[in-house]
Amino acid sequence: MTELLTVLTVTLEEGLMYALLAFGVYITYSILDFPDLSVDGTLPLGAVLSGVLIRAGVNPWFCCLAAFAAGAAAGSVTGLLNVKLKIRPLLCGILVMTGLLSVNLVFIIKGTGGFSIASFFDLPTIFSAAPASAIPQDIGGYRLRPLIVALFIAVVCKLALDWYLTTKSGLLLRAAGNNAQFVTMLARDPGTFRILGLSIGNGFAALAGSVIAQQKGSADLQMGTGMVVIGLASVIIGISLLRKVRFMKATTKVIAGSVIYKACLSVALALGLPTEYLKLLMAVLFVAALLSGNMLDKGRAKIRD
Amino acid sequence: MIEFENIVKRYNAGTPDELVLFDRFDFRVAKGAFVSIIGSNGSGKTTLLNILCGTVPVDGGKVRVNGKDITKMSEHQRAALIGRVFQDPQKGTCSDLTILENMSLAANKQGAYGLSAAVNRRRIDEYRTLLEFCGMGLENRLNTQTGTLSGGQRQALAMIIANMTDIDLLILDEHTAALDPKSSETIMSLTDKLVSEKRVTTLMVTHNLRYALTYGDRLVMMHEGKTVMDAAGEDKQAISIDNLLAKFNEISIECGN
Amino acid sequence: MKTLKRLFAAALCAALCATVLAACAEKEPAKTEKLTVGVIQLVSHPSLDNCYEGLVAGLKDAGFVDGDNIEIDFQNALGLPETAEQQAKNLAAKKCDLLIGIATPAAMAAYAAARGTDIPVVFCAVSDPVAAELVKTLEKPGVNCTGTSDLLNLDAQVKMIRAFQPDAVKLGVLYTTSEVNSVTHLEELKEIAPKYNFEVVAQGVQSSADIPQAITVLAQKVDCITNFTDNNVVNNLADVLAKANAAGVPVYGSEIEQVKNGCIASESLDYIELGKQTGAMAAKILNGEKAADMPVALIKDSKPVINPDVMAAFKITLPDAYAGAEKVTK
Repeated sequence: MTELLTVLTVTLEEGLMYALLAFGVYITYSILDFPDLSVDGTLPLGAVLSGVLIRAGVNPWFCCLAAFAAGAAAGSVTGLLNVKLKIRPLLCGILVMTGLLSVNLVFIIKGTGGFSIASFFDLPTIFSAAPASAIPQDIGGYRLRPLIVALFIAVVCKLALDWYLTTKSGLLLRAAGNNAQFVTMLARDPGTFRILGLSIGNGFAALAGSVIAQQKGSADLQMGTGMVVIGLASVIIGISLLRKVRFMKATTKVIAGSVIYKACLSVALALGLPTEYLKLLMAVLFVAALLSGNMLDKGRAKIRD
Repeated sequence: MIEFENIVKRYNAGTPDELVLFDRFDFRVAKGAFVSIIGSNGSGKTTLLNILCGTVPVDGGKVRVNGKDITKMSEHQRAALIGRVFQDPQKGTCSDLTILENMSLAANKQGAYGLSAAVNRRRIDEYRTLLEFCGMGLENRLNTQTGTLSGGQRQALAMIIANMTDIDLLILDEHTAALDPKSSETIMSLTDKLVSEKRVTTLMVTHNLRYALTYGDRLVMMHEGKTVMDAAGEDKQAISIDNLLAKFNEISIECGN
Repeated sequence: MKTLKRLFAAALCAALCATVLAACAEKEPAKTEKLTVGVIQLVSHPSLDNCYEGLVAGLKDAGFVDGDNIEIDFQNALGLPETAEQQAKNLAAKKCDLLIGIATPAAMAAYAAARGTDIPVVFCAVSDPVAAELVKTLEKPGVNCTGTSDLLNLDAQVKMIRAFQPDAVKLGVLYTTSEVNSVTHLEELKEIAPKYNFEVVAQGVQSSADIPQAITVLAQKVDCITNFTDNNVVNNLADVLAKANAAGVPVYGSEIEQVKNGCIASESLDYIELGKQTGAMAAKILNGEKAADMPVALIKDSKPVINPDVMAAFKITLPDAYAGAEKVTK
C-alpha cells in the first residue's frame, strides 16, 4: 500500500507541474489553433534562467515570475514572426526553438561559469524556502511537501487563467483563435491577439520549466526534449477523454489530462513494461484518447482567416 | 457619403493572365441609401465591397467615406464604422462561443478589450430584446454555442451583431445565398426591418433578382468592372425582372456567348 | 547599364578569388617546432575534468609541456555531441598533430573527423571502445586510434554492496537507453550480480522527464541501487537520491563526486590516473609510436569511497574490510 501511495504522490506531483506546460499548450494549440513548437525551447529557458538566478541568490518565487516573463518574451517573438513576417506557424515555433538553443546555452555558461548544467541542490527553492518551509517535509510518512507546493501553483495558475478567459481580452483571444474575421469585424487586429496568446502560452511553459527545475535541484538544456509532445498529449487526453463532463472547466480537464498522462507512465513502469515500448504505449494512449473524444469528427469546420 | 474615385484594380499584373477589373472606376453612394448590386460572376461586385472594406488593396484611386480618405486604412481600422455580413453564415459569428458571448463581444466594439468582465449580466435583457426582433427563438438560447445553430439562425445573429453598435455602413455580401428559401425570406425581412429602423447606408450584393428589386431604393447592375444599369427611386420601381434578364442577355451576347 | 553590371560582376569575382587565395594561404601555418594537440571534452563534469587534469599532467611527465613544445587546443562541447563533431572537424582542418576525445561522443567525433587524414586519435574515458567502433579489439586497435577505457570495476562495486547490505536481494539500476556506455555496463552487471547473489532490476528511461517516476517505481522494487556513468542519471542525481532515500533505498555511485553529493559509497575509478595514462599514451604517439599497435589501457584499480553521513542515515555499519576507505562528505 505504501508503494502505491508513494507512486501516486509522485505521479500527482509530476502531473501538476507539467500541467503548467499543458496550460501553455492549451492556449496556443486549443484556443489559438497555432501549433507552437517553441515550448521545446521556452521550458528550458525558464529552467535555466531560474537556475542561474537562484545560484545568484535571487528569491525563488521571483525566479518563477522572471521565468514567466522570459517565456512571454520568447512567445511574442514567435507571434511577431508569424504576424509581421507572415511566416507559417510551424516554422515560427521551430525558428524560436532553434534560437533559444543558443540563448539557453549562453545563459547557462555565463551563469555557471562554464558548465552546461546549473545545479542548486542546497539553495532555497520554492519547495524549500518560505512559505513552503512551514509545511513539514514528511506527513504521515509520505513526502508531501513538493506535492502541496505543486498543487498550490497549479491551482493558482488555473484560477488566474479561468478568470482571464472571462475578461473582455480573454474572450476576444478565444474569438481570435476561432474566427479571425470576427475579430477584424470588431475593429481589432487578430494578429495582436495571436501574439498575446503566444506570449501567455510560452510564459506558462517557462514557468513550468522553472518549477520542474526547482523541484529537481538543477537545470540543464536536455530538459526541453519532447516537451511539445507531453504538453499536447496532456491537453488532448484531458479534453478528449473528459469531453462529456459538463461541470469541469477546460483548464481542469487539462490538469486532469496531464495527471492521466503521467499516471499511464507510472502504471507502465510499475508493471515492468520493457522500456522500449513505453513511447509506443503513450502513442497508443494518444490515439485512444483522440478516438474516444471523436476529435476525428469532421463535422466542425473551423474558419481560418 | 461613399465615393470611389478612379479606382484601378488589376489581377495577375505583369503576367499573360493579367486582368484589369477596374479601370478608373467611379461610383458614389448617398447617405442613407440602400443599394442593391447585381451582376454576373466576375463583374466586380464583390471586389467592390472588398475594396470598400479594405479586404483587398487597390492599385490606384481613392476611397472616401464621409469625405475622409480611407484608402490607406487597414481592414480592421475601417471596421470600426462598418457592419458586414458574409455569404458564409459561419463567418459572422464565433462557433465556439455562445450567443451571449458573441453579443457581449460585439457590444463592446467601440470600447477597449481590457481585463473587465466580458459578459455584462445587466445587458442580457437588452440582448434578448434584440434577438426577439429576429423571431427565431434565439432569445431563449443565449448559452448555446453558435456552432450548433442552423445557417439561417447564425445569419440572423450575424445581422444583429453587425448592427449592434453605431455603424456608418452596412455591407451585405450575398448574405442569403447560402440559405434555404424560407431562411432567406426571414433574413431579408430582418434586413429590411433593421435598415429602415436604423437608416444606415447599406450596400447589398445579391444574385437574387427579386430581392434586388423588392428591397432597397437603388439598383446597380455591374459588368466587367463597370456599371451598366443604375436606377434609383421611381426608375427602380419601374423595372421588372424581365427587364433585368433582358439586360443580362444583352451583356452575354456582347461577350460572344 | 550593361557595362556597369559586367564591371560589378568582374569586381565580385576578383574579390571572391582574393578571399579564397587568402584563406588558402592561412591554411599553411608556418612550420614551428610546436606540435598541436586538439582536445575535445564532452562536458564539464568532475570526472571528465579530472581526466583533462591528468592528461595534461601525463603529457608533462613525458616531456610535453603546453606552451613549450606543444600547443593544446582545448574545446568544451558543453554536453552537445553535435558541437563536439563541429569542433573535431575544425581541429582536423587545422591539421593538428593529435586529436584527443574525452568521453565517448567526443571520442567518436574525433575519430570521424580524423578519418581520411593521418591524424592519430587518442580517447579518454570511453567505457566500451569496441562497441563504439573506435578500435577493432582492445589488444590491437588496428586503426589509427587508441586510448583508455573507464569500464567500471563492477565486480568490486557489487562486492562492496554485498558487504554493506548482507541481506539485500534486489539490486536496481537506472539508466538511459540511448547511452551506449550504460547498455554495455548493464550487460556486464547482469553477468556479475549472480556471483554475489543479487538479482538485477534494471529500469531504462529515455529522457530526463521520465526520471522522477522511474526512480520512484524502481525504489519500491529493490533493496539497493547502483549507478553507471550515465550522463542523464548523473545530471538528475539530486532527484534520484531524494526519491530513493524517501523509499529507504541507498544509492551507490559510480565515482567519488556522486558520493560527495549524497550517494552512500562507491568503488571509484581514479580519473586523474586515467588521464595521466592517456597523457602517457599520447606522448608515445607524439614521439612516433603507432596507435594501431598500442593496446587500449583499462584502469582496473578502483578505490572505495564512502559518505559517513549517508551511512549513518541508513544505519549501515562500515564493514571492517572497508575501514580504510576514503571518507567524503559535501
